[in-house]
Amino acid sequence: MKKQFFFLFAGLALLAACDPKGPDVVVPAPAPTTGVFVLSEGQFGGGDGAVSVFDKATKSLTVDAFGSANNGAKLGDVVQSMGVQGNRGYIVVNASKKIEVVTLPDFKTAGTISGLSEPRYFTSTSATRGYVTEWRGPFTGYLPGVLSILDLTTNTVIKSVPVGRNPEQLLALDGRIYVPNSLDNTVSIVDEASAEVTSTFTVPDGPSSMVVDKDGNVWVLCSGFVTYLSVPPYTLTRVSNGALVRFNPRNPTSQFKLSFPGTSSPGQLRISPAKDQLYYAFGSAEYQMSTAATALPTAPFIRRSFTGFAIDPRDNTVFAAVTPSFTNNGRFIRYQPTGVAIDSFEVKVGPNGFVFY
Amino acid sequence: MHFFNLGRAAWRRALLWVLLVVPGLAVGQQRPGPVATPADSARLSQRLQRLAEVRVRAVGPERFAVGSRRFELDSAVLAQYRGANLADVLQARTPLILKNYGPGQLATIALRGTSAQHTAVLWNGLNIMLPTLGQNDFALLPVGANTRVSVQPGPAAALYGSGAVGGAVLLNNDPDWRPGVRGSMQADAGSFGLLGGSLEARAATPTVAVRVAASYRQAHNNYSYLLREARGPVRYTLRNAALRHQWSISPDVAWRVGAAGEVTAAAWLTDADREIQSGVNVTGTQARERDQSRRLVLGYRHVAARRQWAVRGAWFEDIIDYRDGGAPSNSRVRTTQMQAEHTAALGARGSLRLGAEAQHFAALVGGYGSQTITENRAAAFALLRYDPQPALRLSANLRQAALPAGLAPLTPTVGLEWDLLRTDNDSLSYSLTQSLTAKASAARSYRAPTLNERYWLPGGNPNLRSESGFGAEAGLRHRLGWGRATTLETELTVFRQDVDDWVQWLPATGTGIWSPRNLRQVRSQGLEASMALRQRRGRYTGGAQLAYHLTDTRKTQGTAADSDPVGVQLAFVPLHQASFSTDHRWRDWLLSGTLAFTSFRYINASGDDFLPGTGLLGATVGRTLPGPACTSLLVLVQAANLLNQAYDSYPGRPAPPRTVGGSLRVSWK
Repeated sequence: MKKQFFFLFAGLALLAACDPKGPDVVVPAPAPTTGVFVLSEGQFGGGDGAVSVFDKATKSLTVDAFGSANNGAKLGDVVQSMGVQGNRGYIVVNASKKIEVVTLPDFKTAGTISGLSEPRYFTSTSATRGYVTEWRGPFTGYLPGVLSILDLTTNTVIKSVPVGRNPEQLLALDGRIYVPNSLDNTVSIVDEASAEVTSTFTVPDGPSSMVVDKDGNVWVLCSGFVTYLSVPPYTLTRVSNGALVRFNPRNPTSQFKLSFPGTSSPGQLRISPAKDQLYYAFGSAEYQMSTAATALPTAPFIRRSFTGFAIDPRDNTVFAAVTPSFTNNGRFIRYQPTGVAIDSFEVKVGPNGFVFY
Repeated sequence: MHFFNLGRAAWRRALLWVLLVVPGLAVGQQRPGPVATPADSARLSQRLQRLAEVRVRAVGPERFAVGSRRFELDSAVLAQYRGANLADVLQARTPLILKNYGPGQLATIALRGTSAQHTAVLWNGLNIMLPTLGQNDFALLPVGANTRVSVQPGPAAALYGSGAVGGAVLLNNDPDWRPGVRGSMQADAGSFGLLGGSLEARAATPTVAVRVAASYRQAHNNYSYLLREARGPVRYTLRNAALRHQWSISPDVAWRVGAAGEVTAAAWLTDADREIQSGVNVTGTQARERDQSRRLVLGYRHVAARRQWAVRGAWFEDIIDYRDGGAPSNSRVRTTQMQAEHTAALGARGSLRLGAEAQHFAALVGGYGSQTITENRAAAFALLRYDPQPALRLSANLRQAALPAGLAPLTPTVGLEWDLLRTDNDSLSYSLTQSLTAKASAARSYRAPTLNERYWLPGGNPNLRSESGFGAEAGLRHRLGWGRATTLETELTVFRQDVDDWVQWLPATGTGIWSPRNLRQVRSQGLEASMALRQRRGRYTGGAQLAYHLTDTRKTQGTAADSDPVGVQLAFVPLHQASFSTDHRWRDWLLSGTLAFTSFRYINASGDDFLPGTGLLGATVGRTLPGPACTSLLVLVQAANLLNQAYDSYPGRPAPPRTVGGSLRVSWK
């Protein structure tokens, strides 16, 4: 009888040891000019955010480039965004409160910038100088955030400049850093040389993303506010409508403004490589608008809701990210510049952005 | 059925004991008063078969759950784990699936592959699932509070009501009518700042039995773990994972009134203050949660010759206060429950129980707004047990619940047990005895929408339908005895469980507000095999249990809004689970070993990322030393994860390495 027990027992041990094979196939890093980095947030708490490398030439995909290049290391929790400076990539990992620095295109680690608050977006103006926006405070009561100035040679924070609440997708232009404060109605301008806020100007509520067009004008997309904050009765009430604002950087207070209807909140302003077409998400669709337009378009460019959207500067291919839920993997879809779908690929949970390298 | 080889006199003693300890179980049977003699020995002997059944099955409603698998953690096992919580003991001793966020952290059960909300937890016959979440945190249920813990996988909702889709976990406090005073006090200490203590005292006179159990536990859980970072593996110490305190006090009293009546009153108060570990890749959170439950039940039971009736009233208060640096999230729910049932004998072979229950919830929950939300639910049930012959036992039950959004699905249950083979032993010889029983049951089940699903702002969906389940199981139970000394019991069950209108929270298109909807169908099927060997020889008693569960659970169909793929094993449901435990007592010594295997588990619905399989070894060594004046001292050393396996119990939640603990218990009687 005892023997039978042990026999069964050994069999069960074998069953338990039988794990499926992990995605351990390392695709050779793509040659420059055909790589696309796809950012996936991952499942909250699991530390499994990822950057996938897609090679346009071979259509091959390395799902977790960071893990594959660094002995299976986890990238961390909530991969928010990524910036590139030369052959360095800066992956902003929000809940892990760090920036992972990697060499490109092989994604080998080149350091970690830690000690951040709730880092959101990165940009850089030289091989030694970087900037990252950080939120501060709990979600129930955000405090004014900061723009942290980074020394990219030592991967440390030099200085944190106080800005408005929830600073988002910043823009570096002509020695100035424009920081849209998305929980306020302001944009802070930080002077690169003095590392101080030199001015703060008013825009409509909820500025979150900015681009500069071919004429040197800056466009700010403001999402507007809806309240459903942490206090009862939590009703969803629109406080202000979204708006698209254009200004000349020499005179930011003189603004051209296009207002959105109150049915939804616009987001994710992008610009075409020629810098003459704007793209934004509004009400479960993606819209395209000429920088010369005087009114918002009424017909969508692609009638679908995306969690990430970008245009490849090399060939104008459109990359759009789809997050069906946070309980399963996401995918990205490639579109012709005309908006006709080409193909799609599965990536990790919560894809939210693209970097072309 | 016979695996005790008892003579006629012993049977009578056993019978009397059964009747005294669990009055009201032997339906249609005169319950003797404390001084009464067994009434009619002829009638008693006619009832032996059925009472033997009751003796094995032990508690009331289960009598109507014929053909359904059920297993019990015996009192010797519970005594070993009395400082621990229910999640700890189930993980070490059974192949049940628990989703565990770490020691003392949230631990939920997934019986037969269903979700945490599909297992009803009943305390003394009353549903104690949190009405807000519709589930229980098994880390908040200390083992020592109850005298009996049993698990009944499979749908039995007609017996246990809402939530009993995957099964039910039954916690009971049975009065101990052995006269006199007995008790024990225990102190525990262990790795990573574990400190605890517990007390149990019982006293009984012929008319009153009292028991008090209390326990305390705290732990730093500051163990180290290895995180694979880009620069290489880095060792960290776990932070913000302490169990700051966990109290449990559970007094109960049973009072015999007249020859046929019994009043019972029980309370169970628990209070836990925990730091909430939010994943080691999430930096710097300081979440904490305070969980408090107060449960009171008052009951009266009347047992006459041919009929029995009982009424029970209960009042619960469940508090969860969570804070993580932002505004606190507070929740308080008060539940009032009433139950009444009447059981009558149908001839000599059957019994019929008719009953009704009502629940009233009053919830003051931050997420529902500033007003108290109230909800009422009611249900009526009919339970029939009929044994055409001693070897063939049948049950058929029906339950209908009324919910605020309308009637829940009507839930019938049918069950059958048939003794295919039975060689009765001769009480004087040591010959081989065996029995083989075929069993089958089928049931419909339901889960009422939780208060969160209905009232959460924003997103709560008052139009949510109840989830409905249909389950069936069939199997064989074989018992083999070699004389009095050795028994071997083997059970094999195959099951299939379908759940329809499975609720998922999804962001609404347009607004992006998360809202629960009836989205999908899930099918779980598999088998459960177990083998238990028990041996008693001279001053040695011992045994070994081996159990294996195969649980194949997949989404079979979903609406367009439900993006999870069809046909993939559900996240956190391992396909294979196995457990092996062995216990030995010789003279004053006690030795136990446990091994629990879990195959890999997917961590999301896509079915590619997974937590690897684990094999966890635990052991206990103890020795009882006699002391003066009917006292004794038990010295217990326990170790868990002896192989020091490094693994995550949940993504981003490293489990403890090898832990060692010691306990000292002073008992008196």
